[in-house]
Amino acid sequence: MGSSSKKKKEKKQDFQKPKLKVGKTRPKNTNATDTSFSAKSIVLKQQSLSESGRDASTLFAHNLSLLSSKNDVQRRDALTYLTTAVAANPDGLPQPVSTVLSKAQPLILDGHSPVRQQLLKLLKVLPKDEIGSLEQTLLYTRAGLTHLSTDIRLTALDVLDWLLETNPHAVMGVAGSWIKTLQTFQNLLSWQNAPTTAPIPTDGKWSSTKSTSNLGSNKLLLHQLNSLSRFLLAGLTREPPDPNAEQRQAAACFPLYQTSAHLLPIKSNPFGHLNLFGAPRDVESEVYEDAEERVNIFVEMKMHSAFRHGVGEVKRTGGEVGRAAAMVERALKLVEVS
Amino acid sequence: MKRKIGALEKVDADLPNLQHKIRNDPPSYRDDFVSQYSQYASMLELFLQSPTTTDDTGVVRLRDLIDFISHVADCYPKITAEFPNDLIKLLELHHKSLDVELRDKIVGSLVLLRKKEIIDSNTLLNTLWPLLIATPSKALRALLFQKIVSDLRTSNSKTKNHKLNRNIQTICYNLIASDPASPKGLWAVKLTRELWRRSVWTDAKAVSIMEIAALSQDAKVVTSGTRFFLGSDQEREEAAEDESDDEEEIDMRKLKHKAGINKKNAKHDRELKTAAAKVKRKEKKKNAHQTLNFSALHLLHDPQGFAEKLFQQHLQPAQPKVRLNLEQKLFVLQLVSRLVGLHKLTLIPLYSYFIKYLTPKQPSVTAFLAYLAQATHSLVPPDVLEPLVQKIANEFVSEAAAAEVASAGLNGIREVCVRQPLAMTDTLLQDLVQYRKSKDKGVQMAARGLLSLYREVGAQMLKKKDRGRDAALGLRDGQNQGAKFGEVDGGGIEGIELLEKWREEQGIGSDEDEEAWKNWDAESDDSMSSGGWINVESDGEEIDISDSEDEKDKKASKKKAAKEAEKENEEGEEKADAEKASRATASLEPEAAVRREEARISKLATTRILTPADLAKLNELRQTAAITANMPSAKRRKLQQQAQANAARHADDEVTADQIAGLAALSHKATKEERIAKAKGDPDEPKNDHRSTTARRKEKKEAEGKSTTNKEKARKKNFMMTLGKAKRKGKRSLVEHRRILKAHVDRGKRGGKRGNY
Repeated sequence: MGSSSKKKKEKKQDFQKPKLKVGKTRPKNTNATDTSFSAKSIVLKQQSLSESGRDASTLFAHNLSLLSSKNDVQRRDALTYLTTAVAANPDGLPQPVSTVLSKAQPLILDGHSPVRQQLLKLLKVLPKDEIGSLEQTLLYTRAGLTHLSTDIRLTALDVLDWLLETNPHAVMGVAGSWIKTLQTFQNLLSWQNAPTTAPIPTDGKWSSTKSTSNLGSNKLLLHQLNSLSRFLLAGLTREPPDPNAEQRQAAACFPLYQTSAHLLPIKSNPFGHLNLFGAPRDVESEVYEDAEERVNIFVEMKMHSAFRHGVGEVKRTGGEVGRAAAMVERALKLVEVS
Repeated sequence: MKRKIGALEKVDADLPNLQHKIRNDPPSYRDDFVSQYSQYASMLELFLQSPTTTDDTGVVRLRDLIDFISHVADCYPKITAEFPNDLIKLLELHHKSLDVELRDKIVGSLVLLRKKEIIDSNTLLNTLWPLLIATPSKALRALLFQKIVSDLRTSNSKTKNHKLNRNIQTICYNLIASDPASPKGLWAVKLTRELWRRSVWTDAKAVSIMEIAALSQDAKVVTSGTRFFLGSDQEREEAAEDESDDEEEIDMRKLKHKAGINKKNAKHDRELKTAAAKVKRKEKKKNAHQTLNFSALHLLHDPQGFAEKLFQQHLQPAQPKVRLNLEQKLFVLQLVSRLVGLHKLTLIPLYSYFIKYLTPKQPSVTAFLAYLAQATHSLVPPDVLEPLVQKIANEFVSEAAAAEVASAGLNGIREVCVRQPLAMTDTLLQDLVQYRKSKDKGVQMAARGLLSLYREVGAQMLKKKDRGRDAALGLRDGQNQGAKFGEVDGGGIEGIELLEKWREEQGIGSDEDEEAWKNWDAESDDSMSSGGWINVESDGEEIDISDSEDEKDKKASKKKAAKEAEKENEEGEEKADAEKASRATASLEPEAAVRREEARISKLATTRILTPADLAKLNELRQTAAITANMPSAKRRKLQQQAQANAARHADDEVTADQIAGLAALSHKATKEERIAKAKGDPDEPKNDHRSTTARRKEKKEAEGKSTTNKEKARKKNFMMTLGKAKRKGKRSLVEHRRILKAHVDRGKRGGKRGNY
């Protein structure tokens, strides 16, 4: 009997009508399907586990990608691997040298000095003639030169030295390399443009002192002066004019006239200086291909006088710094030769 | 060997430190700034070559440099002249691919530059606004929106910056107008709504943005546009209230008391002073001139055109350009009906649109009923409304329908008929009124509401037995005939006949009037001269408090005079009412009624100019006459309450679905839970529960922070503690004994310990 009343209740429940209220929405049907869903994501806690069985090229690519790793030890190790790989087999690299350089150059501004040391080693083993465009490298170098940290400045100077040593012509061919780099040096050494007037515009109440950035770092100043002299030498030295060159060339390919203009260009991006597709450039970021042009703009921007004045002051300190300043002065004399 | 780093150099190596130094002494740190700026320049150039890379590797990141430079940019305006443009360009070109943190930093820096007044508001807003519309990132949109609103608020904080406002409003307007079908218009609507809420934009131009939004072709834009018109003004008021409420109350008395007791030191002194200043400021703010803001519905240029367009575009066509679901359609319908009701527009097709929705099974039919009532006004032709009322009666109100349905239907009919009484026919009304005999409470109440309405506005349509005494008497007098369609009260002054009668009784003739006008401004200063002038001034004088004795005396005498005058008035009125009643019962001929009606139209207003005192008296007379004096007091009170409730409901207020469904709550028996909840009392609805009066009073007292009286304390005292006192009865002194005896006698007179006094 008990079970029958229970059954009756159950049956009743099955056929109960939902109560409808006036002005309200209908309650959902009992057989309505719930179509809502929530998305889930999968998180991988570690990277690929299999280290073995990979060939050299994948390993090379892997290490190249590790250059942008968050972990500084990993970055350094990757640099070490790349250095040995490049040194062992400079010709048959799995990836072009320019790719390696473009991946490695952001590390000029890296916060850890072991990484930067290793980077310098890598740069030195890179084959000279396959480096490619230096535009970005020079930008990174300039950023490094003005960096807050002295260590990074030193590294950037080393990189600049390497650039000038390996490929001075390419460096000068980069847009903005000449004036902008010189301006950076001018800033760093605080050799202001107009030596005759007050060096820094002040309120007139206080005499301002030299910036503190050079304090206690003779080493940095020395390095800066050395690099500057190298840079000036590279920029201002004219190629020895060869009086017979033209005749010789004409004789070599006699029936043709101005052959070189019709041949395929031998350097990469030969019309880059025309800046056909980029944004319009101002005086600072213009390309100055010829030493003559460089000298002219150097004098025009009143940098020559500013540099001479600055060098004169530094030379008076004597010692190692004085000697380096003398080097710079010698480089500056190249302007007056013409 | 490690190189030793000088202390100074170490300190130099972080930007915040340099920033601090630069702020203190810009000229000395110029070189450092220039080198940082050139580093920024080279980093930027690098970045522009590959904007997608994150710059997280280095020690100094581009975003740190940007932050640093924007913080000190005002120190070196010449060097950083190009900096804002760089940022703007970077953001405009690469906002999609920029690293999130860098992007936010750039936005923040631009706002900072605006705060330092390096760039102006227009530049900033013209940069941020297109980004807000273009960017796919939700986080950036939220950030940009917040920045835009805050910038507009600050530039409007002191005075309205009309030029900027006009500029941005035009941009918003064009955004919707240029492409009505795009969902981007939502941002214009959102901005306008937010600024409206904060009372930054309060002009017709902002309303016109919302107007075009409501007429656009995107469902979301349409909905938010219509919702603006329906709810923005409440929102604005609430926001204003919130602003004034958010500072907690400071009790100066308590603080002063505390200061008197606690140890005195400089800090406490300072705290007291700041609190006093705060209170003063608040007081000042409270007394400050309140700006009058027009509601958005009143600022519309062409309400008729707007309502027509809304209806024709969204509701009428079977295949509208934008598909709205029922909820969105209801919003539009609500707005249209609100406009029609508020501005008394004529939109005939709207009423036939309602017909197909007036069935009990229609979802949210109560809303439809409410909107129908809202769209009704005295200038709607009755023959348009008649079928609707008939349909509601047929569909909702029948014995077979559920009680809830019937009460909702009756309520709906009543709300319609309040606004247009002519929409009802005799037979239908007489039929509906009979539902007041229904067993269900809700139906009963709704039918009674309808009955009492028609007793006022159209008693002749009711059966004789349903009319009630007042309405029947009124009908016999020839009043209460009900207005004809389109009839407007011809600008009479309500209650002028009362004033005339009063003047007759007082014996004020026209000669005295002239005198009164001659020196009426003098009289208004000197309120002692005649009884009739007192009420103009008395309010103000009672408020200010002064200590001098003379003034007190004067005031007392003045009060006395006022009281006497009032008494006289009352007596006069009672007499008049008695006369009226006797006359009404004596003469039954219709001719007499007509004659009296003619006599009722007073000559007073046409023959003389009313003085301010006359008007004040008129107001007073009108109020007292409204509640008939010979009614029993309980009924009078009830009538008064009703009148107050009606007055509280403003004509601009909307009819809601809850008002229609309201009585339906009476139709079902309360469950146990509901009853318990009522008995316990709901803190949100203190008026509507079943607690005792005492409990309510007690709670009120507690809420005010007041303690109990000594008497209450004594009553609650533990019995054992009172024993000692009781025992001492024999040892009382004579004085004590006398006091007790006196108290006993007094108590007897009052009628017990807690008798009424």
